[in-house]
Amino acid sequence: MTASAALLRSDTVSTRLASRGDLTSFLMELTAEIGADSYMLVAIGHGEVKNDARIVASNWIFDAIELIGRRLIASLAQGPLTAVPGSRPSALVTGEAPCARDFLSGEEATLLDVLGHAEIYSLALNVGRQRFFILMSASQTGQIEQSALMKAQLKCCYALCQVPQLLVDTAAQDPLSDRERECLFWVSEGKTTDEVAVILGVSSNTVNSYITHAIQKFSASNRAMAIATAIRSGII
Amino acid sequence: MTYQAARHDDEASVNDQRNPFGSSSAGVEARQAVSIADAVRRCRWIAIDLNAASFGFFMVGPSPDRLVPCFDSAYPDFSIGKLIAVRDCEEIVRHVRLSTQPRWWVDDCSDGAMRARFEALSWAASTAPLVNASTGLAFPVHAERGRCGLVVFTGNEMTLEQDALYDIHARCFSLFSAVSRIRPGDIGLTRAISRRELECLKLTANGYTSEEIAGLLKLSVHTANQYLTQSAQKLNAVSRMQAVAKALRLGLIE
Repeated sequence: MTASAALLRSDTVSTRLASRGDLTSFLMELTAEIGADSYMLVAIGHGEVKNDARIVASNWIFDAIELIGRRLIASLAQGPLTAVPGSRPSALVTGEAPCARDFLSGEEATLLDVLGHAEIYSLALNVGRQRFFILMSASQTGQIEQSALMKAQLKCCYALCQVPQLLVDTAAQDPLSDRERECLFWVSEGKTTDEVAVILGVSSNTVNSYITHAIQKFSASNRAMAIATAIRSGII
Repeated sequence: MTYQAARHDDEASVNDQRNPFGSSSAGVEARQAVSIADAVRRCRWIAIDLNAASFGFFMVGPSPDRLVPCFDSAYPDFSIGKLIAVRDCEEIVRHVRLSTQPRWWVDDCSDGAMRARFEALSWAASTAPLVNASTGLAFPVHAERGRCGLVVFTGNEMTLEQDALYDIHARCFSLFSAVSRIRPGDIGLTRAISRRELECLKLTANGYTSEEIAGLLKLSVHTANQYLTQSAQKLNAVSRMQAVAKALRLGLIE
């Protein structure tokens, strides 16, 4: 079956995702369509630990995940070869890995190779403002159809949009109200409290209280930290 | 930085592939700095492939109802941008923040062929018309650090197959990430910023006060403040808060 025919098939089969099972069968189908063996859907935390990978879904064997470790999974997901939607993906070939030396040691590359991940593509996925990563890997290099990857990437974005409840991590959610977010945004653009009050058409006391609430919600110690937290988590 | 540059080239070449004016300009195009005029041109190529009459490119601001027109098919004037009423875009702005799925709407007076064509598309769904008495498609797009946008195409004769949907949307993504990289005023301002100044900025972003920074870095409070003032000046920021925001958005600090 050609790649495009395969794509059409799963378009009709599972465009309505509702449960965990639907997500799994969608991802397995998608993996098969592009000729890959394994998938791993990863969310990266923005907290104190910079490289904190949260695995949302995966068909990797458990021991492979434990052997490789979350830190390495996070750097694979966010590596220099990660393709955002609309850019051409390029594979990490673990057998060679010359271009990846700075985030992947030779031993780690060999380990991945032995565990059946000879080539790994990392694709960034957007579910609205939230960003996820999917690692698609195969045991033989050249096994994954590169031409089908870009379509698969968009399709995966669309599918994940239907099951936001399966993806959320309570800590990473946007806790701010619309007004609080607006106030923080304008302060981050260098506006003073009085200027924000004029922009939003409210009093400056109100603006201050919005910002105080935002600071509390982030448990930040001051405005600068609240803004930094909001930017790091992609809220503003 | 080098990785970003490489990625940029890749994105440009994806769009060049579909350049209807031939592939000879592909190499040149990839190396050119993207300007709004380039972006309009790229958007026009997408519109041609969709057989759309007009297009509009919007940024989604921090407000719940703000769809900021960037450019549209009447560039340098605005056509679609003027037609979208603020009250009508609230629904789509919320959608863009939460989802990446395309949305479409059909003019009630049309013959139904367009409706059938759009209804046949998987993943896309209908929405309230953004422009009255028109038929259109809206693609949510996203870039680094939570930036959102919307690319809108309208026309009564649009053609779109399921297979082409992914392709068109991918090109919209590529276009948006190129456009969101255009940040007039930021270019070249970062060269002179010192390591010490960045340290102070980073600690400020982590919630430390000038006094605490002075203690941690074994400086006087006056010096710490001076570093912060200098870094704000170099980043062309008017306040400490904006300096932190700019440094984070530019990737100078994590």
